Amino acid sequence: MSSGGENDHFYSFDEGDSSSIELYESQNTSEFTIHGLVFPKLTSVTSQESEFDINEDEDGVDTIYDGMLDTPITKNSKRILCEGSVPNLNYECLTTKGIFERMLQRVDHLQPVFAIPSADILILLQHYDWNEERLLEVWTEKMDNLLVELGLSITANVKKDNDHNSHFREVEFKNDFTCIICCDNKNTETFALECGHEYCISCYRHYIKDKLHEGNIISCMDCPLALKNDDIDKVMGHPSSSKLMDSSIKSFVQKHNRNYKWCPFADCKSIVHLRDTSSLPEYTRLHYSPFVKCNSFHRFCFNCGFEVHAPADCKITSAWVKKARKESENLNWVLSHTKECPKCSVNIEKNGGCNHMVCSSCKYEFCWICEGPWAPHGKNFFQCTMYKNTEDSKSKNAEDANKTLKKYAFYYRLFNEHEVSAKLDWNLGQTVGTKVHALQERMGISWIDGQFLSESLKVLNEGRTVLKWSFAVAFYSDASHNLTKIFVDNQMLLATAVEFLSELLQIKNPEVIMKRRPEFYNKAGYVENRTIALMECGRELLCKGICKVVE
Amino acid sequence: MSSSKRIAKELSDLGRDPPASCSAGPVGDDLYHWQASIMGPSDSPYAGGVFFLSIHFPTDYPFKPPKVNFTTKIYHPNINSSGNICLDILKDQWSPALTLSKVLLSVCSLLTDANPDDPLVPEIAQIYKTDKAKYEATAKEWTKKYAV
Repeated sequence: MSSGGENDHFYSFDEGDSSSIELYESQNTSEFTIHGLVFPKLTSVTSQESEFDINEDEDGVDTIYDGMLDTPITKNSKRILCEGSVPNLNYECLTTKGIFERMLQRVDHLQPVFAIPSADILILLQHYDWNEERLLEVWTEKMDNLLVELGLSITANVKKDNDHNSHFREVEFKNDFTCIICCDNKNTETFALECGHEYCISCYRHYIKDKLHEGNIISCMDCPLALKNDDIDKVMGHPSSSKLMDSSIKSFVQKHNRNYKWCPFADCKSIVHLRDTSSLPEYTRLHYSPFVKCNSFHRFCFNCGFEVHAPADCKITSAWVKKARKESENLNWVLSHTKECPKCSVNIEKNGGCNHMVCSSCKYEFCWICEGPWAPHGKNFFQCTMYKNTEDSKSKNAEDANKTLKKYAFYYRLFNEHEVSAKLDWNLGQTVGTKVHALQERMGISWIDGQFLSESLKVLNEGRTVLKWSFAVAFYSDASHNLTKIFVDNQMLLATAVEFLSELLQIKNPEVIMKRRPEFYNKAGYVENRTIALMECGRELLCKGICKVVE
Repeated sequence: MSSSKRIAKELSDLGRDPPASCSAGPVGDDLYHWQASIMGPSDSPYAGGVFFLSIHFPTDYPFKPPKVNFTTKIYHPNINSSGNICLDILKDQWSPALTLSKVLLSVCSLLTDANPDDPLVPEIAQIYKTDKAKYEATAKEWTKKYAV
């Protein structure tokens, strides 16, 4: 066993060499260290994470300790990596609630500096997108103006001729009250800020409810005086300000999409925060993708925010996905009626109004026509009327397009088949737990011994995903090149291996499962090896420029 | 529906105390569909013209802004050929405390002072900024042709 120098990046061992596993584990004990990548340097190979990987900290922030309990099902021989390796990523997985709690801590911390109530600091931070430095800058410059501007200074807004001697910021019951919003005259609860603009509780509730999802400061309906979180909760009768804070944090995440990424999986509310993004270009350069894993075990690429897509890199993935969309009837409408926000790529439909667009997601202001930033348009709006004519080049390439369409259809069918299979495998996964249970009950084996089933399923899922994306790589590769041929052979080997393993996992009889247990190990190990081989081969195609997106 | 009460109130207020140079009222029996007219402000190239607008109140009015469109053609940087108006209080700056009467007054002042930096029709905005005389002449011509 070699150690020191470059060989530290690899582990190599012969069949049955148990010491290699120790080395493997000892390299993985640093906390927060997550790689999500699949090469010997990054150790976990096609990861066999178990539920043990997540440790819940006392402060409620989940951190992932990846690979600590990994034991490779099979051994890997030493591989030559193509053109180098990449650093590990240090990231954490959060939720909007977790981020908000941190912000509250910051507020406590800032309170002595500002010397105004914490609730007011919260509003200031909310307005400045939770950017402390910017807030402090503006604060030292024009503290009083800021308080007036954001509706926190009461004196400036109080009606001088206030005959209304009620308690402000408290819900009150009034007889015979006429609300100017709904024009109803009734005995009702009312609410008013110090400005004395008093409305019935049902109008106030309706107004606030509409605004909660925007995440902006909510002010009185008739003046800029701000409602604080307390006021919102009082009016609504239940804690609703948390919803407003949630929206505000969401918009914060959207605006800081370089460091924060939403988990792209449906209904997953996790946010992955990568503090140091400096290593991302290195990943891109070497055609790796910086995969991260959220607390719900969803693996996605931090660079493009898409599901895990090796061996394809982000460029191939995006080209492939765009192509898939173009061909899809359902998304035709989206493509013809919407544009992507130039900053955060969210699809925007223009349903009227002027060309001054404000992305509802990241608040980026841009021009609908030229898709450039709006700021310079104040003076030179007409520049963008020079419309880019793309029609000509399109018709010229029509023939080529037809040719590639056939090739595309071929690969897309394969891609799709594996996607469908992956979903079926997922369903299969739901039954694995019960199978393990059955093994425990009927065969009297321990839970830990039954884990080979879940491990095999994980290997299968990952193999399937890699296989799926490998068709995107194949589509964009120069078919005549020898390396492409090797790649295609590798694909076939993995496809066969995956099907074998998938078949094994269909077995329902616990006795048969236990009898064939060595086969599970063998097949899973084989799938794992083939997965790595295919990924590395794909990356080589990318590194050598054999696989590239042709514009 | 609570919105009908509010709209009825606005209608009676408009009748009692009509704003200068504007008028508005329901079309037929539908309280949610109004027509309004605005006299071209005297200090603008629209002077002498009468401009009609159609107004649709949403069912959750006044929590959502009314939809206001010009039905008379008008040459203006913030109003396009389909009569759409680019005005902040008709979009994100709407507040339930605003009324249709206040909206119409804002439209009047938009006729006097266009906002070429946030144009709906960039071509008109460009002329507005570079050749005000030409803009005024065209606006007058359109007023004569469509609004008198």
